[in-house]
Amino acid sequence: MNTKRAAAYRLSTTVALVLAVLTVVEYFVAQEFPSTVLLLLLGLFKAVAVVNYFMHISRLWRQEGSH
Amino acid sequence: MSAVTSAVPAAHGAGHQVAQHDEHHGEDYSVALHNNRLGLWLFFLSEVFLFGGLLAIRFYLWQDNGVIVRPHLNQWVGFIVTTVLLISSFSMNLAETGIEHGDRKMFMRGLVVTAVLGLVFMLGVMIFEWGLFPSLHESDLSPSKDVFGAVVFAMTGMHALHVISGVAFIAVVWNLGRKGHFSPEQHWGVEACAIYWHYVDLVWIFFYPAIYLIGKAVSH
Repeated sequence: MNTKRAAAYRLSTTVALVLAVLTVVEYFVAQEFPSTVLLLLLGLFKAVAVVNYFMHISRLWRQEGSH
Repeated sequence: MSAVTSAVPAAHGAGHQVAQHDEHHGEDYSVALHNNRLGLWLFFLSEVFLFGGLLAIRFYLWQDNGVIVRPHLNQWVGFIVTTVLLISSFSMNLAETGIEHGDRKMFMRGLVVTAVLGLVFMLGVMIFEWGLFPSLHESDLSPSKDVFGAVVFAMTGMHALHVISGVAFIAVVWNLGRKGHFSPEQHWGVEACAIYWHYVDLVWIFFYPAIYLIGKAVSH
């Protein structure tokens, strides 16, 4: 496996793990210290990670499109 | 002889034309890719009004004297279906990364895993929240019983529509991939499908706490 590909898979795994941890934190926050603001903030963090790393929003600003 | 010699520049000219055609094709693809991405994100922007409206309805209607409330729902069901959708986003990203780096096996497997997890998510919602199969599980919610059921069905129903269309999209991309379509250089179809699937996950990132976690749980 080439290095670039391995690095890309590693990034995917890291982002997925961060999202999983945040989901577990969200669940326990709701059970133990229910706070609407905190839960919405956690959701926002997860959304930023998905939009940035999985949906590649930064590709929108590229003048010339490439994958 | 003259035919042979004249054929050389002609062939050279044809090669040059092919190279020029490829170059133009590459430029066309690049411009189309840029426009396609913009179009897809504008579509998502329009969808934000739809899902944002549903979230606004939830916070407006699920109140009791100014206190935010929510119905008693099985917390484990919400957590498990959310986890399933999260893993499906991961497998979709692996599929996209696979085609980007010429790993067709990962690309095809990632698509299959994503579609299967999407269907598992749908089944979870249909069985445990909607109670479509009473022999398996009886649900307290009904779209016409009270404001809780109405909002849960509206939110999960609209989201489910997007999950189903996402699975159909994945099936189309998988079938094209099976026939040899897409390459590391040109795979807009895969990218669009992946972004769409992540959008479905993104919506659920806000719907999950809104339906299951935020507010005081009350009987319905």
